[in-house]
Amino acid sequence: MGYARFVIGKTISYALALFAAVSLLYVGIYPTLQKVIEGSADEAASDFQRNLVKNHSGLTVAQITQDVATFKASYLAAFGFNQPFPIKFALQMVNLFEFHLGSAFFLQAPNGSKQVIDIIIAYLPNTIVLFTTGTLLVVAVGAIIGLLAAKSAGGKLDRTVPIIAVVHSSIPAFWIGFILIAYFAYSLNVLPSGGISSVPPPTGILPSFVDFLAHLTLPLLSFFIVSVGGFAYVVRSLVVSTMGEDFVTTARARGMSERRMLFKHVLRTASPAIATQTILAVAGSFGGAIVLEVVFRWPGLGFLTFAAIGQNDLPVIIGSTFILTIILFLGLYIGELTYGFLDPRIKAGE
Amino acid sequence: MDTGKTERSYAREFLKSRSGVVGLVLLVLLLATSLYVAIAIPQSEAYKWDNPSVWTNNPAAVPPSWVNYFGVDAPQTASFTLQGWSGSSSSSGAAYSSSVAIDWNHAVTPSNIVLTPNFSGTAYELEVLWTKPDGNTVQVSLSSPVSGTSYTLSYTPINQALGQYIQTQTKSYLSEVSPAQELAALFNRDGPGILNGSVQQGSYSATVQIVGATGLSVSTSSVSLVGDSYGTMGTDSFGRPIELGVLAGLPWALELGIIASLISVIGGIIWGGLAGFYGGWRDKVMSWGTLVILAVPGLAFIIAISYSIQLTLLNEALIIAALSWPGFAIISRTVTLSIRAQAYVEADRAMGISSTRTFFTHFLPRLTPVTIAFTALSISGVIILGETLSFLGIGPGNVITWGGILNAAITFDASLHGWWWWTLFPGIMIVVASMPFVLVGFALDRVVAPRVTAK
Repeated sequence: MGYARFVIGKTISYALALFAAVSLLYVGIYPTLQKVIEGSADEAASDFQRNLVKNHSGLTVAQITQDVATFKASYLAAFGFNQPFPIKFALQMVNLFEFHLGSAFFLQAPNGSKQVIDIIIAYLPNTIVLFTTGTLLVVAVGAIIGLLAAKSAGGKLDRTVPIIAVVHSSIPAFWIGFILIAYFAYSLNVLPSGGISSVPPPTGILPSFVDFLAHLTLPLLSFFIVSVGGFAYVVRSLVVSTMGEDFVTTARARGMSERRMLFKHVLRTASPAIATQTILAVAGSFGGAIVLEVVFRWPGLGFLTFAAIGQNDLPVIIGSTFILTIILFLGLYIGELTYGFLDPRIKAGE
Repeated sequence: MDTGKTERSYAREFLKSRSGVVGLVLLVLLLATSLYVAIAIPQSEAYKWDNPSVWTNNPAAVPPSWVNYFGVDAPQTASFTLQGWSGSSSSSGAAYSSSVAIDWNHAVTPSNIVLTPNFSGTAYELEVLWTKPDGNTVQVSLSSPVSGTSYTLSYTPINQALGQYIQTQTKSYLSEVSPAQELAALFNRDGPGILNGSVQQGSYSATVQIVGATGLSVSTSSVSLVGDSYGTMGTDSFGRPIELGVLAGLPWALELGIIASLISVIGGIIWGGLAGFYGGWRDKVMSWGTLVILAVPGLAFIIAISYSIQLTLLNEALIIAALSWPGFAIISRTVTLSIRAQAYVEADRAMGISSTRTFFTHFLPRLTPVTIAFTALSISGVIILGETLSFLGIGPGNVITWGGILNAAITFDASLHGWWWWTLFPGIMIVVASMPFVLVGFALDRVVAPRVTAK
C-alpha cells in the first residue's frame, strides 16, 4: 500500500521533471531547432515534389509549384511556425515527444533511412548494452569492495579504497580508453581496438557472441576503472558510519557474529542511502560512458553524436540529446523505485 | 559559536592528513605554474597553434628527446649556419658560395632537411652540393629561390633531383619519391641497395652556391637537419610541440574549473540548504527542481546548446555550473535537515527570530566547511568535463586545450601509429591538474564533514 503510493507519487514527479528538463533543452536549442525544422520541411517538400512529378505527369509546372508550397506550409504549420510562442512551444514539444525528430542532414541509418528517429533506433541498443552492463558491474563490484573495506576498517583494502576513489575523480574516462587501446590492442594485440564486431563478422551464434564480448571488454573495462572507485568509497563510508550506530553496538554486545550483523543489520540500514548514491553515480558516469563510445568507435548514441558534431548534423545532435535525456530519466526512475523498495519506512507507508 | 577556534582546529586536523598536505603542495605548484604560463605564453600562441605553416620546420610526430637515454637513437634537430660567403658581385652578375661541415654519428637519418637562404637582390639559381663521408656527391639546383623561404624535402625540384639520384644508383624506375627515400639518398651508402642500405656515419658537407644579378648580397643562411625527437614531450603530426600545448592548456582548465565550481557549489549549497531549512511544500518543490537538473545529461546538453550559443570561457563555465549543482544541493539538504533537529534552532524559533535570518546565521556558517570541501572536489570534475567537451570538439575557439590535442590524436590515429607521446602527456596533464583538488577535497571532506555522506 505504502509502496504503491510511493510509486505513483514518484511517477508523477518524474514525468513532470522530464517535461521540465525537455523544456529547458527546448529553450537552450530554440534557434537551432527552428533551423532544423525548416531544413526538414525543405527536405520533405523536395521529396513530395519528386513524387508529384513522377506520378502525376498531367500537372503543369505552376500547379506543382503551388502544391509543393502548400505542402511545405502545412508541414511548417504542424510545427507551429507563424504562431505565437506558446502555441509553437506546445506543438513542437508534442512533436518531440512523438519522436518526430526530422530528417538528418548527412547521416543515415544502416537501412538507408534519413529519419533521425530511425538512425537513433539503430544506435540506441548499443548504448543501452554498454551503459547497463557497465553500471551493474560497477554497482555490484563497488558494493562488494566497499563492504569488505568497511568490514576490515583500517586494513589494507580499506586504505586502497580512497586511492582508487582519487583515481576515479581525477582521470577522464576517455583517456583511460586511449591507454587501454594502446596497451591491449596495439601493444599486446589481444583485444580489438574498437568497433562492435570484427570485419568480416564471424559466422555462427557462439563465435559472434565471443567476438561481441571481445569488443565489449575494453570499453566496459574503461568504464569500470573510472567508476568503481568513487562508488566503493561511498559504500565504504556509508557502511562505516552505520557501524558506529548504537544498534550495532548493542547487537555486537549480544554476541551477534560480525558477518551476520554486517549483512543483516548494517547493510539493510545503509541500503537506501546506497541506492541514493547509486542514482547519483549513474547520473555522474553517464557522460563518461557516452564519450567512451567515441574512443572505442562503439556504435551507440555517443558515437553517433560525435559523428554528427563532425558533420554539423544538427537534427541528429538534437534528437540524440533528447533521447539521452529520456534514457537517463528512466535510469534514475528505476533507481528511485529500487530505493523505495529497499527503504522499510516507505514500505510501511510512513 | 566560536568560529575562529573551529577553523584553527580544522586546519590542524587537515594538516594531519598526509594526502591532503601532498595535495596542497601540488596545488600551490600547479597554481604557480599556471601563473607562469599565463605570463610566459601569450594568447598569440593559441592563434599560432592552429596555423600549420608555423610548424613546418619542426619534426612531425617524433617522440620526446629523452628517449635517447633509453637506447633509442633519435637525434635532435641540428641547425647549421651558412656564413662567410665567398664570391663577388660584378657588372656581369654575382655568385657567392658557402660551405658547412656536418658531423652525423647516428644510425638513423634525420626526419627532414630544411634550407633557408637569406639574401637581398635577385637570385637566379641556388645550388647545393651535398658531399657524403665517402666522397660521393649529390647535387640539387633550385631556380629563382626566394629569400627567407624554408625549402624542405617536399619541395618539388629537390624531390625530383633526389629521385633521379636514386634512379642512377638503383638503375630502376621510381614513380614517386617519399621523404624517407630522399633522406636515404642523402645519407645511405650508395649502390643498387641505397634505399635499404645503412646510414653513413662521419663528416658530411653542404656547399651552397647562389648565383644572381648584379647587386646580390647574401647574408647568414641556415641548413637544419630536422631531428627524430623533440623537446620533453615530442611533437604531433603537424610538428606542434606537445609540451607547448600541455603548458598552454593549464590556465584555461584551472579557470574553467574554479569559476564553474564556485558558482555551482555555492548555488547548490544554498538551494539544497534552503529546501531542507524550509521543509514542507517548499522543500518538495525545490527538491523536484533539483531532480530536473540532476536528470539532465549535462554533456549532451552542452553539446546541443553550443550550436545556439558561441561558447566562451565564461559562458561555458556558467552553463557547466547551471547543470552541475544538484549533487551539492542534495547533500546540503541532508546536512541542513540534521542541523535543523538541533536545539539552538528551536531556541531561535522560540525567541521569534525570523527564519531566513536563522538560515544565514546558524545554517550557512555550518555549511561553509562543506562548501569548501565540495568546491575542491568539484573543480576536478569540471576540469574533466571541460576537457571531455573539447575532446569532442566543443568549446571556445582559439584556446589550446588538452582535450583538443587528444581530439587531434584520435583523428590522426596516433595510437595506431604508435605515437604514444601524443596521447600520454595531455592525458597525464588532465590528471595532474585535477588530482591536487581531489586530494585536498577528500582530506577536507574527512575533516569537516565526517558524517555528511552517512545520512
